[in-house]
Amino acid sequence: MKIIILGAGQVGASSAEILAGEANDITLIDLDDRYLRKLQDRMDIRTLVGNASSPTVLEEAGAEDADLLLAVTNSDEINMVACQVAACKFATPTKIARIRANDYLRCEELFGPDGLPIDVIISPEEVVTEHILRLIEYPGALQVLDFANGRIQLVGVHAYHGGPLVGHPLAELRQHMPKIDARVAAIFRKNNVLTPKADTVIEAGDEVFFVAAKQHIRNVMSEMRRMDERVTRVMLAGGGNIGFRLSRELEGQNYNVKVIESDFRRAEQIADGLDHTVILHGDAADEELLHQENIENMDIFCAVTNSDEANILSAMLAKKLGARRVMALINRSVYVDLLEHGEIDIVISPRTATVGSILAHIRRGDVVAVHSIRRGAAEAIEAVAHGDKSTSRVVGRGVRDLPLPPGTGIGAILRDGQVLIAHKDTVIQPEDHVILFMVDKRHIQDVEKLFQVDVTYI
Amino acid sequence: MSLPLTLAVHRHSDAKLDDTKISNFLTPERVEVHWQMSSKKRLLESIALLLTKGNVGLDKKTIFQILTERERLGSTGIGKGVALPHGRVNSLDQVIGAFAVLDSPLDYEAVDKQPVNLVFALLVPAEANEEHLRILAHLAKLFNDSGLRKKLKTTRSAEEAYRILADWQF
Repeated sequence: MKIIILGAGQVGASSAEILAGEANDITLIDLDDRYLRKLQDRMDIRTLVGNASSPTVLEEAGAEDADLLLAVTNSDEINMVACQVAACKFATPTKIARIRANDYLRCEELFGPDGLPIDVIISPEEVVTEHILRLIEYPGALQVLDFANGRIQLVGVHAYHGGPLVGHPLAELRQHMPKIDARVAAIFRKNNVLTPKADTVIEAGDEVFFVAAKQHIRNVMSEMRRMDERVTRVMLAGGGNIGFRLSRELEGQNYNVKVIESDFRRAEQIADGLDHTVILHGDAADEELLHQENIENMDIFCAVTNSDEANILSAMLAKKLGARRVMALINRSVYVDLLEHGEIDIVISPRTATVGSILAHIRRGDVVAVHSIRRGAAEAIEAVAHGDKSTSRVVGRGVRDLPLPPGTGIGAILRDGQVLIAHKDTVIQPEDHVILFMVDKRHIQDVEKLFQVDVTYI
Repeated sequence: MSLPLTLAVHRHSDAKLDDTKISNFLTPERVEVHWQMSSKKRLLESIALLLTKGNVGLDKKTIFQILTERERLGSTGIGKGVALPHGRVNSLDQVIGAFAVLDSPLDYEAVDKQPVNLVFALLVPAEANEEHLRILAHLAKLFNDSGLRKKLKTTRSAEEAYRILADWQF
């Protein structure tokens, strides 16, 4: 595919790096020559200096030939105009834009049939808010990923002593929960990945990834660890866009929410938009304040200010002062690596979350969702099977007979709105949404190919 | 809806009368040669435009979208330098074909990864049926003939290309 990426920031550069590794033809445009030169040294991409929404610049970048435009500059306006130019002047088939400002996002008409020609809008704050909400919903989960519009979820969890299944073979899961169907997709044990079999014994410390219908996730998690008490009290550091969105969602679900915001005017402003949330004006790294607000009773402390350092400090402090589980939003990837397996229970990288949601729209074949697991080590995708036995390589075949690449397994299927957990003899039918898990993401292209239809598919 | 090529051709040979003629859905005005294309995207745009010729009541933008969507599900590059982009069109009540020859082969993500220089595009009504599959199967068979491919690649005029195709006996 020929892809033009606008903006060489974190999201643009990460997307370029991943896509360039997948036999795509990438042109990256940015105003800043220095960024581009640095990137070009280590990636096989074309770069161009210039205003990303300029018709002349886009033409020079080969927009006439591009299959896809990914507009992720720091400016919403440039991203929007670039999509408009691409649509009118170059008939670019797919246009993806990052839009940050709520003001635009709330204006639905802007993206409706008479609005801007943008096929996919990526709102990083929305992506991150969703991500954090799911982690709060399932305390103890390392990762919660949605498939089939949230009907099916893939959850990563640490197995602990005391979980009923820990120390037992997987086959017993069925006996423990006869009415619940789930599939363990992968087990990570001390940096090794195990392909789960019926006789695989789960050990304490394993990272277990499993797929199940949303309503069964809690039960399956409780097999791997003693379930933490339900979360009711949440403290957020930072009342910015993400903090505000989170508070609104959480108070709507009856959590007790406290938000610490350092800017007085912002604190007043968000207080107006929230009903039951307690807004505190102050510094989230202030020990006194945290004590006063009963930090030791907090089920979750989540730092989402726009400063990485402030988030790290306040999360560590909150942990030390007794908050049960702490999370921090971290932008710089160096920090993300450093903090992995440290005192902070969960490090949330907006870049990883955003890039993941972008990549889902840049796959060949009818792929609906792609999620990175364990920061890109593994991958899970939802692909739709089309055609019939003769035009598709998957339809009409049993799961055991599918030519899946090594380390790839089928977890679940959404068929006519019903969630099915895949078994060896499950036969794939046309229009099935198939959720696959691959421990080696290099195989993603083989999986995409597998789901492509033959030329005789009309 | 779909049928394997072999099955479709086999069924067809059982039929006594052959009513499938390329001239039923291809006209001389929808044949062009000496195309210079720099990308698959631009090729699909151009073939979409070619498909609108002859007053078939379709617009280029819609056709381009339909062809692109179909390619996304799997390339229609059948190998040996041939592509058969196609799609279903709601407002259509007949099959419409267009054919183009490229001067230099173009990457089309074809099954054999070979670049493409012969392109036969086909639009069929939304209710695709066995007849449409048969046409597609016939076209695949036609382009499997290496002598014919060679003739088409070296043809000098659109008229000549049209003649070669129209004279082909299924």
